[in-house]
Amino acid sequence: MELLDPVILLQFLIGGLLAGALYALLACGLNLVFGVMRVINVAHAEFMLIGAFIAYVLYKWLGLHPVVALLVTVPAVFLLGVVVQRLLIERVVGRPLLTSLLATYALSIILVNLGLLIFASDYRAVPVMQGSLAFGDIVIPKPRAAAALVSIVITVSVYLFLGRTRLGKAIRAVSEHAQVAQICGIDVVRIRMLTFGLAAAMAAAAGVMLTMIYSFSPESGADFTQKCFAIIIIGGMGNFLGALYGGILLGVVESFVGGFVSTQWAEATAYLLLVLVLLIRPTGLTGIADAR
Amino acid sequence: MPARQMLLAALLVGLALVIPQFASDYYVSFLLQLLMMVALAQSWNLISGMTGYVSFGHAAFFGIGAYAGTLLLQGGSPWWLTVLEAGAIAGLVSVPLGLLTLRLRGPYFAIAMLGLNEVGRAIATLWVDVTRGGNGITISPAILPSLSSNYYTMLLLAAAVTALTAWVYHRRFGLELRAIREDEGAAEMVGVNTTRNKLTAFVLSALVPGAVGTVYAFYTSYVNPSSVFSPALNIQMIVMVILGGSGTVWGPVLGATLVMILRELLWANFPALHLAAVGGLLLLCMLFLPGGLLSLGQSRRRLRAELAKGGGSG
Repeated sequence: MELLDPVILLQFLIGGLLAGALYALLACGLNLVFGVMRVINVAHAEFMLIGAFIAYVLYKWLGLHPVVALLVTVPAVFLLGVVVQRLLIERVVGRPLLTSLLATYALSIILVNLGLLIFASDYRAVPVMQGSLAFGDIVIPKPRAAAALVSIVITVSVYLFLGRTRLGKAIRAVSEHAQVAQICGIDVVRIRMLTFGLAAAMAAAAGVMLTMIYSFSPESGADFTQKCFAIIIIGGMGNFLGALYGGILLGVVESFVGGFVSTQWAEATAYLLLVLVLLIRPTGLTGIADAR
Repeated sequence: MPARQMLLAALLVGLALVIPQFASDYYVSFLLQLLMMVALAQSWNLISGMTGYVSFGHAAFFGIGAYAGTLLLQGGSPWWLTVLEAGAIAGLVSVPLGLLTLRLRGPYFAIAMLGLNEVGRAIATLWVDVTRGGNGITISPAILPSLSSNYYTMLLLAAAVTALTAWVYHRRFGLELRAIREDEGAAEMVGVNTTRNKLTAFVLSALVPGAVGTVYAFYTSYVNPSSVFSPALNIQMIVMVILGGSGTVWGPVLGATLVMILRELLWANFPALHLAAVGGLLLLCMLFLPGGLLSLGQSRRRLRAELAKGGGSG
C-alpha cells in the first residue's frame, strides 16, 4: 500500500473528521459545564456510557435502532443530569477546583462500579447498519457516517440554542460572570441545572452513537475521559467552539497516527497531545482559562 | 511529635512485630496488605495531602516497582537489595515526570496525572519482550523471600514512611509544603522555593510505592499489567487519605485501616460493590467532611477548649 497516495490521505482525513465530530459532541458538554460553574467533571464520560448502555438495553429488549433510541435516551439522561446537579454538583460549585474534581472523581468511581455490578466487565456492541457507502475510491462505513451526522446536527443545534435563544444567552451570561448574571435577574441555580442536564444529554447522545461503532464496557470511560481532557485543553477550557475545534483536531491526528504508525499509538495520541499542550500552553491553544 | 502519639506509634509497631509469632498465615497476610495500604496512602499523602497537588495516577509507581523488582530478582539480585533498587528506579522515573508536570498548577497537574496509571498499564501490556505482556511474569518460588520476610519488610516500609511524614510535618519543609497548598503564589512571594519543594515531595512519594510494589510482587509471586497497574489500588490510595484526613500524620493510617476492613467484608464476593462503596465514602467526605475523620476529633477538641476558655472568663 502506497501511504502517500492522495486517495488514502483523503480517506484518513475523512475518517478523522467523522470521529472528530463525535468527539466534539462529547467534549462540548464538558466545556459547557466548566464554563458555567467552574467544575471539571471527571465523570463526564460515564454519562456517555449511561447513554450507551440504555441504547444497548433498548436494542436487546425491544430491538430499537440506536438512532431511534436517541429519542428516549437523551431526555432521560437530561433529567438524570438535572438531578445529579441538584443533589451533588450544586454543593461543590464555588468550592476550590480540587474539591469538585475529587467529588466528580468519586461520582465516576460509583457509576463505573455500579455499571460493573449490573453489566459485568464484558464488552458489548450494537451491530446495526452494517456496510459502507462508497464515493469513488473513498469508503465510509455507514455507522460512522450516521454517528458523525447526528453529532453535527446536535452540536450545531446546541450552538444555535446558546447563541439565539433567551435561555441560551442566559447560560452564556452565567458563564461570562455568574454574579452579574444573578444581579440581572437570571436564576443561576436553574441555569446550572439546565447546563448540567444539557451536557449529560450531549454525552449520552455521543454514547448512543458510539454503540454502533465501538464495543464498550462499564470501564471504557477512562479512555474517553482522557480524550475529552485532551480536547478541551487543546481548545481552551470553558470555550464551546474550542471543544469543537479540539475534537475535530484530535480525531484527524488520531486517524493519521493510526494510519501511519499503529493503532496502539493512536490510542496514546490523546495523552501525548494533552501533555504536550499543557507544557507549551497551559491555557489551551485558543481560549483563555481561569487557571485557579 | 507529641509524646502521646509517639507512645501510640511504638505500641502499634510493637503489636505488628509480635503478631506473626502467634497469628495464622491468614491474619499475617491480611496485616501485610494493611501495612501495604498504609505505606501507599502515606506516600500519596506526602505529595497530594501536603501540597494539594492531587496525583490521580500514583499506582503507576507501584506498578513500576513491581515490574522492576520482579525482573531484578530474576536477574539474580538478592531480595532485600531488590526492594531498595526498585524504590530507587520508581524515584528516578518520577524526577523527569515531576519536572514536566509540577510546572502546572493544581487542577492541570491533576488532569495530566489522570491517565498515568493507564499509560503504565499500556506500556506493560505492549512491551512484550521485557514484561511478557498480558501473560505476566511468575516468579520461581525458589528465589522468593518467605511470607514473614515480606511481612517485616512491609512493616518497615509502612513505619518508615509514616515516620518520614511525621518528621516532614513538623519541619520547615512540611510547613512550606502546606503553604503551597494554601496559596502557592503567596508562598512563592515569601521566599518558598515551590518548585524544589514540590519535586522533593513528589520523588519521596514515588520511592516508597516502588519498594512496596516489589514486596507485593514477592508476596503474590506473580505480576501482570492489570494486577499491579491496578485501577482499584489507584482509587484506594486517594480515598484512604481523604477519608482519614489529608495532610495529617495519622489520617492515612486510619483511612487505610477502615478501607481494608471494608474490603475484607465486601471484596471476596463483590469487588465492584466495594469500590462503589469506597467511591461513596469519597463523595460523602468531599461534600460534608473535607478534612476527613481526624478533623472531627480536632474540631471537638477545639470546641471544648473554647468552651473551657469561655467558662473561665464568664
